[in-house]
Amino acid sequence: MALTALEIYKLLPKTNCKDCGFPTCLAFAMQMAAGKATVELCPHASEEAKETLGSAAAPPLPKVTIGTGRDEVILGDETVLFRHEKTFYHPTAIAVSVSDDLPPDAFGERLRAIRALSFERVGQRIGVDLVALRCGSGDPVAYAKAAAAALEATGLPLVLLAPPGPLAAAADAVEGSRPLLAPPAADLGAAAKMAAERKLPLRVRADGIGGLYDALRAARAAGAKELVADPAPGDSRGAVEGSVQIRRLAILSRNRDLACPTAFDLGEPFPEPFGTAALLIPKYGSLLVLDTADPADILPLLTLRQNVFTDPQRPIQVEPGVYAVGNVTSSSPVLITTNFSLTYFTVRGDVEASRVPAYLLIADVDGMSVLTAWAAGKFTGESIAKMLSGCGIGEKVGHRTLILPGMVARLSGRIEELSSWRVLVGPQESSAIPPYLRRLPPAAFLPANA
Amino acid sequence: MTVALPEQRFPGRILPVTLPAGPGGSPVTVGGQNALPCTPEGERPNLPAVGMEVRTGAEELPPSLRSAIGELAADPVSLARRCVSEWGARFLFLDLSLCHPDSGGRSVADGAALAREVLDAVPAPVIVGGCGDEEVDARLFPAVAEAAPRPVFLSYAEEKNYRLLAGAALAYGHGLVSWSPIDINMAKQINLLLADLGFPADRVIMDPLTGGLGYGLEYTCSIVERIRLSGLQGDAMLARPVLCHLGDAWKAREASDASETSWGDADRRGRRWEETTGLACLAAGADLLVCRHPGNVARLSGAAWR
Ligand code: B12
Ligand code: SF4
Repeated sequence: MALTALEIYKLLPKTNCKDCGFPTCLAFAMQMAAGKATVELCPHASEEAKETLGSAAAPPLPKVTIGTGRDEVILGDETVLFRHEKTFYHPTAIAVSVSDDLPPDAFGERLRAIRALSFERVGQRIGVDLVALRCGSGDPVAYAKAAAAALEATGLPLVLLAPPGPLAAAADAVEGSRPLLAPPAADLGAAAKMAAERKLPLRVRADGIGGLYDALRAARAAGAKELVADPAPGDSRGAVEGSVQIRRLAILSRNRDLACPTAFDLGEPFPEPFGTAALLIPKYGSLLVLDTADPADILPLLTLRQNVFTDPQRPIQVEPGVYAVGNVTSSSPVLITTNFSLTYFTVRGDVEASRVPAYLLIADVDGMSVLTAWAAGKFTGESIAKMLSGCGIGEKVGHRTLILPGMVARLSGRIEELSSWRVLVGPQESSAIPPYLRRLPPAAFLPANA
Repeated sequence: MTVALPEQRFPGRILPVTLPAGPGGSPVTVGGQNALPCTPEGERPNLPAVGMEVRTGAEELPPSLRSAIGELAADPVSLARRCVSEWGARFLFLDLSLCHPDSGGRSVADGAALAREVLDAVPAPVIVGGCGDEEVDARLFPAVAEAAPRPVFLSYAEEKNYRLLAGAALAYGHGLVSWSPIDINMAKQINLLLADLGFPADRVIMDPLTGGLGYGLEYTCSIVERIRLSGLQGDAMLARPVLCHLGDAWKAREASDASETSWGDADRRGRRWEETTGLACLAAGADLLVCRHPGNVARLSGAAWR
């Protein structure tokens, strides 16, 4: 477990020489305990202290990267068992499979389908992260060609599920793209050497935790460094329990031998792949290989992943301020909502759909929904009146009519009392905004006569 | 090599609670475990149970539900029968929204009579939900409590109405669902208030409000996990079975919008939206799930091994 400030202090020279930039050794120790400083800053620390403090600071679950550049995928590097304890950092990577022995047309079609599995949700892009290339042909030439084609067509990093011959050929064909080598369990030795020589990440598959212990040691002995563990479960329960055990070994037991990101191949003949994936996303799966490329399956899984990997301290939010939607003029309607991304993008989408150019005022409520912000006292008559006078909307439009979310109709009196604005109560659901805006009498937005 | 596996042992245990059945039916008992979900250690005498919602008010069904239960939408008694006998629901959540002014506005007497009819028609345990209108529910729950021919659970008791609900439930031997809006302190508070009234703890299940997938689900998952951890660590007021009602999953645009073809078939997507919501709740520690799609009863029950 992480060391306390006092435990760290005991390992330091206790001379208070300030070379680390902190006034005392204890002050430095406190910063280290809080994760804000590392032992390297103290030039006088003993080798023993460096060793102890260095490994205590290392993440309990190491990081493995697949791919490079913009589409790089990071696995592991997590510190807690429950997201409320801090947050989960690196979203479960989703790989969709394709086999190299598909007829060329079907192969290309499948890659296009995989590439299309990318969606915009509350202002974030969520999509499939990798292509998992299965080796049905058994032929190194065919497999290498398919790997190059998959990389070319999708730009996504690859998971190469193949025995050593094809694996080596494909690794050469996509050199520089940092694929994950994923050999069958029986071919670990040869693949581990390959991973060591080429400095590539390696998926180690073996039966259960005990089998993984031996296999991971063997892979490390062969020089492979970035390892991903697959306990080769036969069913959903085995997969989830294996995943939980590996995470607990890393976090609770600080077991260095088994601390690895996990991978699960949920392709044929794995039973209940969808349900297993939905359980493994909250339960610590680092990489999932799926056979389905149906958006009706993938979108819910990606959405679950987006939910689970949102920082609980910080809802996904947008910059507060004045947003113009469409070609606004000084008589465009003005609507107000909150800066919770889910709220903002829902409302914005509906305003766009109305094709009525409009101004959207986005109130700063620390990323809360309309009702939550109201219940928390952050979206009030006072705060809205303040925004109306301070955000500059009064110079952008000639009228003084504000459209309020229907859910907080009760705020209208107070707003009118505290500002020079008149309030129109809009619909409760933003989906009703398009017909509502289209039916508004233009007279409501003529210049204020005052 | 055999590796010593970590275990998380706890002093507390979740209180077992039984939803009673009618003659010939099987009661549902949940709780009793002293371990976290998805782990191999500890004892878990009762697995999570999956039930189905029977809705009564006028509403427009999403495509996925229209094709699955549309023909029964106007006939709650038949729907209730099918849920239990055909689709494997272990209990029912009867929602009396027909009494809501906006979705039928039927009288409280009609609501109570319908509850009675459903209870007579199926032997499975039943949770009876109100219509959501505060003023109507204040009359509806006492009427249901009186009319019910056998013990049910009333959903739900919150800070505003718990005296009324506890009174009605105590007078006729019913149980209660204690509700709170994704807030562990409020969840504890409502259980304390019920305990102060002398309401028996083994007749209370907790509903911490379930946000749908993409619309607040993560808040629910974290609250369920925190409730479960606190309960196992010895907080008796939180050591109670948790119910997750997946109804909000169907409110998501993604669960119903057939116009967005790049999202795939709306029928399958809607079912998946609810299934995914339910699976995440199971992983967090839910003991009771309420779903609406018949196909999801078996899917969610299949994952209820923990
Ligand atoms: C998730 C959630 C939370 C999360 C926060 C999420 C967030 N970032 O905001 C958490 C758990 C932190 C939370 C906290 C609280 N919550 Co809360 N929460 C919810 C929940 C489940 C979903 C909210 C949500 O995401 N809605 C989705 C967004 C898109 O909705 P929206 O912003 O309202 O926008 C819609 C409409 O308002 C409209 N709209 C929006 N803008 C505009 C603009 C115009 C012009 C128009 C016309 C329409 C329009 O369109 C949108 C889509 O239809 C709701 C219950 C529910 N199912 O709604 C309760 C709910 C909002 N919470 C509630 C409460 C009481 C609270 C708390 C006070 C208590 C608590 N639980 O601790 C705290 C307050 C916060 C605090 N003090 O820290 C209550 C509010 C009661 C009431 N009727 O006013 C609710 C309704 C639950 C309930 N039934 O009691 N909550
Ligand atoms: S540099 Fe090292 S010895 Fe000097 S004050 Fe900082 S921690 Fe203490």
